[in-house]
Amino acid sequence: MLNPHPGLPEFTYVKPASLDEACGFLVEHAGEARLISGGTDLLVRMRDKAFKPAYVVDIKGLEGTDVLAFDPKSGLKIGAAIPMNRVVAHPDVQKHYPLLAQAAKSVASYQLRNRATIVGNICNASPAGDTLGACLVLGGRLNIYGKDGERFEDLITFFKGPGKTSLQPDEIVTSISFPLPEKYAKGTYLKLGRNKLSDLAIIGVTVYGFPDKMTESGFRFKVALASVAATPLMPPVVETLLSEKEITEDTIQEAANATMEACSPIDDVRGSARYRKEMVRNLTRNAITEVWDQLQSRTKNRLEANR
Amino acid sequence: MTSYHQITLKVNGETEMVNVPANMTMLVMLREELGLTGVKNGCAAGECGACTVLMNGEPVNSCMVLAAECDGAEIITVEGLSQNGQLIKLQEMLIAKGGVQCGFCTPGMLISAFALLQRNPDPSENEIREALVGNLCRCTGYVRILDAIKASVEK
Amino acid sequence: MAVIDKLPELIGKSPLRIDAQEKVTGAAIYTDDIKFGKNLLYARVKRSPHPHALIKKIDTSKAEALPGVKVIVTGKDYPKRIGLYLKDKSIFAIDRVRFVGEAVAGVAAVNEEIAEKACELIEVEYELLEPVFDPIYGASPDAPLIHPDMGDYEVANFIFPKPGTNISNHFKARKGDVDGAWKDCAAIVEKSFHIPHVQHVPIEPHIAIAKADENGRVTLWASSQSPFAQRNLIAKTLGISESDMRVIAPYVGGGFGCKAGVTMEAMPVAIALKAKGRPVKMRFTREEEFYTNFVRQGLKIKLKVGCDKDGNLLAMENTMYWDGGASTEYGVNITRAGGYSSTGPFDIPNVKTDSICVYTNHPIGGAYRGFGMSELHTGIGQVMDELAEKIGMDKVEFLKRNSIQGGDINVTGMKMHPIGLQECIDKVAKGINWGVKEKASSHSKLRGKGIATSWKAPAMPPNAGSSATIKMNEDGTATVGVGGQEIGQGAFTVAAQIAAATIGLPMEDIRIAGPLDTQYSPYEWQTVASHLTWSMGNAVILATVDARRQILEMVSEAWDEEVDDLDIINGMVISYRSAQEMSLKNIVVYGIPKEDDQGWIGGPVLGRGSFMPSYVTGLDAETGQGPRAVVHYTTGAQGFDIEIDKDTGKIEILKAVTAFDVGRALNPELVKAQMEGGMMQGISSAIFEELILEEGVMRNPSFVDYRIATSMDVPRVMETYFVEEPQDDGPFGARGIGELPMTPSIAALGNAIYDATGIRLEGPPFLPEKVYLAMKDAGILD
Repeated sequence: MLNPHPGLPEFTYVKPASLDEACGFLVEHAGEARLISGGTDLLVRMRDKAFKPAYVVDIKGLEGTDVLAFDPKSGLKIGAAIPMNRVVAHPDVQKHYPLLAQAAKSVASYQLRNRATIVGNICNASPAGDTLGACLVLGGRLNIYGKDGERFEDLITFFKGPGKTSLQPDEIVTSISFPLPEKYAKGTYLKLGRNKLSDLAIIGVTVYGFPDKMTESGFRFKVALASVAATPLMPPVVETLLSEKEITEDTIQEAANATMEACSPIDDVRGSARYRKEMVRNLTRNAITEVWDQLQSRTKNRLEANR
Repeated sequence: MTSYHQITLKVNGETEMVNVPANMTMLVMLREELGLTGVKNGCAAGECGACTVLMNGEPVNSCMVLAAECDGAEIITVEGLSQNGQLIKLQEMLIAKGGVQCGFCTPGMLISAFALLQRNPDPSENEIREALVGNLCRCTGYVRILDAIKASVEK
Repeated sequence: MAVIDKLPELIGKSPLRIDAQEKVTGAAIYTDDIKFGKNLLYARVKRSPHPHALIKKIDTSKAEALPGVKVIVTGKDYPKRIGLYLKDKSIFAIDRVRFVGEAVAGVAAVNEEIAEKACELIEVEYELLEPVFDPIYGASPDAPLIHPDMGDYEVANFIFPKPGTNISNHFKARKGDVDGAWKDCAAIVEKSFHIPHVQHVPIEPHIAIAKADENGRVTLWASSQSPFAQRNLIAKTLGISESDMRVIAPYVGGGFGCKAGVTMEAMPVAIALKAKGRPVKMRFTREEEFYTNFVRQGLKIKLKVGCDKDGNLLAMENTMYWDGGASTEYGVNITRAGGYSSTGPFDIPNVKTDSICVYTNHPIGGAYRGFGMSELHTGIGQVMDELAEKIGMDKVEFLKRNSIQGGDINVTGMKMHPIGLQECIDKVAKGINWGVKEKASSHSKLRGKGIATSWKAPAMPPNAGSSATIKMNEDGTATVGVGGQEIGQGAFTVAAQIAAATIGLPMEDIRIAGPLDTQYSPYEWQTVASHLTWSMGNAVILATVDARRQILEMVSEAWDEEVDDLDIINGMVISYRSAQEMSLKNIVVYGIPKEDDQGWIGGPVLGRGSFMPSYVTGLDAETGQGPRAVVHYTTGAQGFDIEIDKDTGKIEILKAVTAFDVGRALNPELVKAQMEGGMMQGISSAIFEELILEEGVMRNPSFVDYRIATSMDVPRVMETYFVEEPQDDGPFGARGIGELPMTPSIAALGNAIYDATGIRLEGPPFLPEKVYLAMKDAGILD
């Protein structure tokens, strides 16, 4: 943005005491209000004149937004007000959802992660969002509250375009839930930035793999790509390939090529489409290889143990 | 149209009551309402880290927090690190190792480094670098700042 | 002049910075920290969205009607042009705009938001003109003229503009017979490079506050490297007498050249003149910092070099087109400096240089650390690398064989003083283990090493002067007054150190009279050019010697002893003859009473010193030849050991080594700190940085997409060395270092990339994408 405001433009700050109060306010001021949790995207966009809300509604403190808990029967729940650093540091996240911790840790800087939230990252719906891939492959499900009460939506259907989600003007995402992780699953998030760390993703590759007796290969992989399309991309062809064929170096290369073919990134100031496609292939290959190596070493260890 | 908010917060141990417009950031409040000009404005976009302060014990970019969100918060700025003129080890080492040149990134660096050593008293070189990635410096090339932090680790 | 015969103990030690304590506590005052009370007005600027257009009409009526708006000014209010070497810059655009972001109007209001809103309400009607975005095109007869009246502009007599064109300076160097020399060359390399615009990125953005009283006397507080230059230029342009304008310059949060000369400061002064005595504060957003004030100009350089069969350089043809931007008031001298240094630190008997400064509709090129040297050496360092390879010679051997030495006649006909360049090359070569081909850490990496040399002379007018004072205080301390600014390089510390060493006081007893204030501080041309330690240092020595003389003469009279038998050690005047001693306390202000109450000797001691080189000569307009083009050259080398990731094109610097001949390292740790910081800035500019300009619009004016090196990008190992071949007229032999460590970086890295991949890129930044796609297209990836 060539000429942003020096400070923030004028607006009214609202801190509702309950979800019902918040939703009521959003209904009354539909189209004029934006929600804030961490604020690290919102404030930047407001300075940039991209967002001009008359009202900024703070969701911190509303029911359900404060939760950060793992239930060994049902899975993980992360409230909309939980900063990323807390997610990264949580022992149950590190133990059961290390991919999520890894993805969150790649965002910006430690300072920013003390404010930025995973739910905020999701609702922002930038195709470059670092945690989106992990949330998708882990089967994330949003808990949404609106004027008509509570509803749930799988993340898979949530993203509609850059900055666009299925959220209605009266709706607030209160938390995201993850089912129990697949047994023996391994995952990795490879992010390409210009600097060594802290950049936006020029492209990002999330790979998640786990043993699955139901597939020909004995494994199932989920792959999600950042910054290659209008929304996070999960090319079905890759997942099909890796479940149908025996997983070898060649299969992995084939999967990487298929991933590259499946995406059509754009040219922008961060990178050209050509480079992005090459990187999708290279990083997908590396990510699948990394996950595969970890899965294999577990298999190997089991075989050793069974001797 | 802007709303005003009466907030009460603790800054460097002192209780403060301030009336702030909605569009005032914590950075502007600290500098202009509370006179804490040690907190610096480098970009107002959450990128350079010159405005880093501790909020409830954790480093944040104060340009990315609304003043109104600070109600009930405990803030520490660079001015609150030393007590009664007694510098903390980090400050002494930064001087001793030559990690200060123009000084504009220094307050933010100190807060990030301070917070790092609080949560990780014996960090590796890589952990120190990662912790500082959100604090940009143009003068020193970072080398002596990293040295100063290493030298501050209590063995 | 090194007046002192033996080296005082403090010189060569590294006392701690005297400003460090206040900086680590947050107490240090920068310009935005000064409080002005409720009367303060805030200024914002209306900017041009077009790269080149006539201004047909400006309607400020809606803005004037906005409550809270107090002053609106446009170019019509101040139609006089301003400039350091060429008066081509308007404070606010007068009849046309020449770059995207140019100031068209300024508004002062009771707060920043209202000023901003008022700017949005100002309506400007433009008539678009054809723009120029390339310097080679801009220099051609086809290009539209950006400054049609350039022929009327006041210009320094060592700058040669070509009226009727977009060429605002054309520096020529003609040494020997280049055209005749090619036939004797056994190997010739011809190559072109493009070095894009970058920005200084000081962490503290520009800021200035101006206040005009009812008598028209102006006070300006500014984050400034050049309070005196700003006073002089702004006053003259706005019709104020120099002494009626006062500039106060607190600590600067990073300058790197962008806060030198006249930058945005003229605007708040212009507005304040109409603000009825109210102070007016103007501060830049980070986005404005990136493109509206000063950037480093772009360069298109074409080089042809040749050597004989033994690898001795015979000829160089160097053609440089500098993308100067919308105003080249500063850039014309960068063109000149690039010209008179156009061979790099090499001894070449036949040289033809054309260094051409061209107007374009791009952001304004100004002084940037290196002053043309980084851009120049990007070309020089790499063609030498190629030529060495072509003639089949080891690259380090080639450098050493052809490096200029003391006694050689350089490109402008100046005889070189002794320099320690050979030793610098040796240190760097050893540091990166040159000559040993080392393996990459894995099969997905490529490893390479590169080395390059560079040189720079302070680029100043021939009469750039420094002055200093030293005032003795009752408590036995001394207050040193200088005009050189503390911008982070340690100027205040080294001034105190020199004073302490010369007068005989411990360093803790020296104060520096800051912040700089043109009303009280002694004159300093500017804090630029890596010349402060040398020039200001000499002035400080002279001032201190003057004070010493006053003190010793006073005591010698009181003791009836010879001055030569007296000394000052640790704040005490002592006699080597009679073993008497007397503290400096009180006597340096009140004098010494005569015996038997018969009167007093001495009085307040105030030393003064002034230094200005007397020997810099002009250069012939056609040949660039003259006896003494510059005061001296600092020379050195830099090398990198790198790995390139074949999957992504990312560069990892395993080891970065640099060495420079500083004459004498007065404060070794401060010298090394400059080398570390400069090398890192060089690495950052080589790998990440670029103003992405499309149709004159900067596409990345924020940290999000203008990346600079972070703590994670620092090389794993960094080594810095200094060599000491004393400068005959430097303080204790010292010469400058500040800009130098950045100047060979791009070339050294380009050479390392070539060594790793066999690919020579056209120019920086060596972003992962550029490196990767080049490798892919060269077919070296499997």
